[in-house]
Amino acid sequence: MSAVATPAERATRATGVSLGRLPRGQWGTVLLLVALVVADVAVQPNLADVDQIGLLLQTALPAVLLAAAQTLAVLSRGVDLSVGSVMVTTNVLVATKLGGIEGSHMWAIVPIVAVGVAAGLVNGALIAYGGLEPFVATLASWAIFNGVALLILPTDGGAVPTTITNLVIGKVGPIPSPYVCVAVVLAFWWFLRRSPLGVRILAVGSDESRAFLNGIDVRRTKLWVYGMSGLIAGLAGIYLAGATSSGTPAAGDGFLLPSLAAVVIGGTSLAGGRGGIGLSVMGVLVLTFITDLVTNLQLPSWVAIVANAAMLLLVVSIRSLPNVLSRKETP
Amino acid sequence: MTARIPRRLSATAAAYVVCAALFAFATIHSSSFASAGHVRQLLVFASFIGFAGLGETLVILGGGLDLSVPWLMALGGMQLSIWSAGGMPSGLAIVLLLAIGAAIGLVNGLGVTLLRIPPIIMTIGTGALVEGYLMKVGLNSSSAVTAPKAAQTLVENRVAGIPLVALVWIGAAIVTWWVLKRTVFGRSLYATGANEAVARLAGTRVVAVRVTTYAASGAAAAFAGILLAGYIGQAYLAMGAPYLFSSIAAVAIGGASVLGGSGSYWGTVAGAGTLTILAALLPTFNLSNAALNIVYGLVILLAVGASRIARRGAG
Repeated sequence: MSAVATPAERATRATGVSLGRLPRGQWGTVLLLVALVVADVAVQPNLADVDQIGLLLQTALPAVLLAAAQTLAVLSRGVDLSVGSVMVTTNVLVATKLGGIEGSHMWAIVPIVAVGVAAGLVNGALIAYGGLEPFVATLASWAIFNGVALLILPTDGGAVPTTITNLVIGKVGPIPSPYVCVAVVLAFWWFLRRSPLGVRILAVGSDESRAFLNGIDVRRTKLWVYGMSGLIAGLAGIYLAGATSSGTPAAGDGFLLPSLAAVVIGGTSLAGGRGGIGLSVMGVLVLTFITDLVTNLQLPSWVAIVANAAMLLLVVSIRSLPNVLSRKETP
Repeated sequence: MTARIPRRLSATAAAYVVCAALFAFATIHSSSFASAGHVRQLLVFASFIGFAGLGETLVILGGGLDLSVPWLMALGGMQLSIWSAGGMPSGLAIVLLLAIGAAIGLVNGLGVTLLRIPPIIMTIGTGALVEGYLMKVGLNSSSAVTAPKAAQTLVENRVAGIPLVALVWIGAAIVTWWVLKRTVFGRSLYATGANEAVARLAGTRVVAVRVTTYAASGAAAAFAGILLAGYIGQAYLAMGAPYLFSSIAAVAIGGASVLGGSGSYWGTVAGAGTLTILAALLPTFNLSNAALNIVYGLVILLAVGASRIARRGAG
């Protein structure tokens, strides 16, 4: 490969790499997901119903959104440990500030969405312009935003406007809204991946210095990445408020490690530059269906945790097998 | 500039400056903060983070990360309590648990090195397997089991006025320092963390070195869990949860690079001290847990910034 390439060549190569290498992992994830859905439906035939699956999606959606946020950071060869705490920050804002506001006053949601974006931009600024490792910067903001959430609402509670609850449990025409939400997430990624920004993110993630040499503003790209990550994590908090009808300031930490697990099960590389939000959505669904399957088989809840962990380790082991075999002599 | 200070030393020194400044500030604010009884209590608290962060330091120095610490802590505390209730001598149970912790760490290390699974994912996976096991043994997050006398003794007894656990901790710190500074393993670990490919070409046994750090981390985390159970008087599933953050935060505040190859355990000791002093200081200002979280985050940024400036000055 030549070291010098025009931005355009670089761009095609970046997408070309991701598109060229994706199918293998992608189809594996698709097959895994289909197998789990079939098994789950076989065990629980009632599940083969639009509304039932919709309920399952509804439970999974905060995790779907956080995995999407995490994916953006991972694609840029970073990590966002603050996704869970940004989520609870907007979550408690909804539960404390919007309780009495109904209907046409829903514009008040806009500042709350902006809080999520601002939180992400803080991360982005620390990483891109402060020169901190993403791991360290978001380790700090993880604690800070958890603290902010606890400051706003010390214990579970608050009130969520019915407008938001209805959005979460309602339907858009004949379609239950969770489907629409997932579709919006996928559409967002579809457009982002084809946009110049998406190409820049993949380029920065696969080789930062090359991206820089090809005229990509690496810092601004990272700022965008974490800003969008904050936006999506913030939306997850609003959704969670609607789904549970309350504010849950301490719920964030439980979502952090699963968001990373889902990204990896989906097939996005932690080394950056390869993968996508669509894969991570499937990753979350794999974990969701394993848990649902265990519940439907009436097995104790620890089985779900073990099965999720075993699936994670199995999937990554299989993926790294070619690497291990091809470099057998090195270690 | 006068004589050059080694980079690693200056980053560690910055961590101690942060820690000492906080302690001085706390003492000015409330003179009883520096009383013998209170310092003893701080030492006990700090030792939990100290041991959870000991293995984490070694793993991070080698360019890895261990996220299974909280669950290994819960395993140490809960399994000890269960075995002791079943009549097993506590001494034997503690030794067995250290071995089991090391064995789980070994699995982490083998997964990371031989199967080439990213450390974050490998340790999330084994951590979750341990969590599943702990749920299986019949204890969910709401129920707790009583910790045995031996674990309480470790935390409560004193030798020459110093808590026994603090002495064990200082001993462990000296051993760790000696191993890192004076042994082939220590030098190999820094070399591996700084640049694994180069270290391998130079003949370093990279796999053995990295696997050892994960095994040490497993044992240290299990020990931290035993201590914590002894202090609380009982053990429960979520007991290790706060240490996912604080074990890594102590290392970061201590001036180690999260990319590996640079840092020291003395830095982590200062990091553990800093986190502990903050946790004790904020309530005296009537500040809640919420404020503590925010201050933790700010201190990480401050300490990382300070160690950067220190390195730049020294380098």
